[in-house]
Amino acid sequence: METYLFYILAVVTVIGTILAITEKHPVHAIVHLVTSFFSLAAIFFLLAAPLIAMFEVIIYAGAVMVLFMFVIMMLDPGRTDQAGRPGLRQWLLPAILGVIILVSIGVLAAGYVTAPHTSSAITVREFAVTLFRKYGVAIEIISMQLLFAVVGALYLGRRRAP
Amino acid sequence: MTATDLFIALPIILLAVGALVTLLVGAITRTTNIGIVIALAATLGAAFWLMQSPPTLPAPTLGLSAGGLSRLFGVFFCLLAAGVLCLSVAYNRERGISGEEYPSVLLFTTFGMLALASATNLLTLFLGLEAMSFGFYILVAIDLQRGVSGETGLKYLLPGALSTAFLAFGIALLYTVSGTLSLHELMQFTLTSGTPDPIALAGWGCLLAGLAFKLSLAPAHLWTPDVYQGAPAPVVAFLSGGSKAATILFLLLLLPQAVDVSALRIPLCALSLFSMMIGNCAALRQNHVRRLMAYSSIAQMGYVVLALLSGKSGGYQAAAFYAIAYGTISLAAFGAITVIERNGGGETLDDYRGVGSRQPFAAGVLALSLFALAGIPPTAGFTGKFLIFSAAIRSGEITLAVTGILLTAVSVYYYLRVVVALYFNHADNTEDTQPRSIPTAPEYAVLIAAATTILILGLWPGKLIELLSRA
Repeated sequence: METYLFYILAVVTVIGTILAITEKHPVHAIVHLVTSFFSLAAIFFLLAAPLIAMFEVIIYAGAVMVLFMFVIMMLDPGRTDQAGRPGLRQWLLPAILGVIILVSIGVLAAGYVTAPHTSSAITVREFAVTLFRKYGVAIEIISMQLLFAVVGALYLGRRRAP
Repeated sequence: MTATDLFIALPIILLAVGALVTLLVGAITRTTNIGIVIALAATLGAAFWLMQSPPTLPAPTLGLSAGGLSRLFGVFFCLLAAGVLCLSVAYNRERGISGEEYPSVLLFTTFGMLALASATNLLTLFLGLEAMSFGFYILVAIDLQRGVSGETGLKYLLPGALSTAFLAFGIALLYTVSGTLSLHELMQFTLTSGTPDPIALAGWGCLLAGLAFKLSLAPAHLWTPDVYQGAPAPVVAFLSGGSKAATILFLLLLLPQAVDVSALRIPLCALSLFSMMIGNCAALRQNHVRRLMAYSSIAQMGYVVLALLSGKSGGYQAAAFYAIAYGTISLAAFGAITVIERNGGGETLDDYRGVGSRQPFAAGVLALSLFALAGIPPTAGFTGKFLIFSAAIRSGEITLAVTGILLTAVSVYYYLRVVVALYFNHADNTEDTQPRSIPTAPEYAVLIAAATTILILGLWPGKLIELLSRA
């Protein structure tokens, strides 16, 4: 059962990502990417890592994508003529993908309660201990990287000489 | 965190704190020199701290190590960064690169290199490499006054992001096979003596593809000439010396722990052969000095891959030796180019005509480093090439070794073209019209130190080889 679900979700993830790359309209691309993130979250849940699944939805599909959306809105590409409601054809594929994910998540959630014999899920405590004890240095390096990403963006974003 | 942890992590902490303090001080005062002084203090402090031997090799709880190779390369990275800082002062003043960002980002880059050097698991190793690349993405585009710098930054950033994706995917595949990120166990699982797991091989393929970009090996080398041409000269010195040495160290921390590296022989052979051929042949046709140096660096990295290929018979020591030698030579060469270009001097071979009489000191150092790159004794380049080719012949890579030696002979032509332009082709009537730029005291110090190191490594290489074989 889990194997079938995994393959279905994997196909959805790959299709979602491919569509996100090939889609010309940035907002549509983001919607496809969110689809792909959601099915990825379901895969993480399937791998007994509910915490990662949660992070995937909250941080990636939620926060990061909203940020992307804001940036695109601010850098408005100026195609207001195309801002009308998209046709049925553009809705069709995301809708199918969304339905597949929803069904998979539903089946998974139903199965998870009735069959707890699958490999035990990683708790928040275990996750935190591994992350901050074993890979504490890695966390510090990443935090420095993020800081300098901001520094670099601020510096390079200054107005250049003509 | 125990006292031992602190002892081992202190150089890294020093650089990180230095980078942050530089940023904070920059918010208070706008004098650039304070930032440079803090950065110099941090790099030199870290270098001196790394020179003493630690109580234990691996840090008990941090997952960092202070092995001989790590500390040796750590000292090298810190001193290189200090040298680049000294070179940048006058260059940046004349190019109008001001602000605290430059020393701060430079410290952050060194922080990444040091984290890479002391890593014991693949995650820290990867993050160190990425922190370093991140710093370089900013540094190559730091000259906001020139329009070309934005283009240069983008040309480095986009392939760099792609190579990061390859590295991350490769590491994920290797983790899938071995179930661990610890370097020793991972290498034992993924490169076994029998037929290796196909997924592990796919992981190694991705890893090598990512590293080939960082080392500018032949099929992934196209960014090199543009970045070398467009970035500020001191940054190129750091990029050429530091990032290449760090990537070689990445491989040196991984490969010697494997049971059997014969599975990687064919891709490494191809990378080495293509880099040597394309680098040397393309450099023959260059008239722009920095592009010439870029193609020459591609060729030099081909020799290093040849050394890694013949690791078991002394090739790993040869690769480590050559990484350090090449870093020093890069510092000397691009330091001299910094001095020559500082007054708006030209960049093509025609502009270099007669520089030997106008700027004797810088031209002398440049000529010495070009001789070293060509592998002429008594310089570090000769010793390094001798170690590499003898290791290759001992391990039976005769074809590649012979090709490499022949191509080295070819390379003498284009290195000497620059020397000839410096000394023998006098500029027609521009003898006195061009301004004389006299090197400043820090530039003198760095260039003399680098040139002396090149000669010492060429004349008395025994000490460093001994250190490397113990590490």
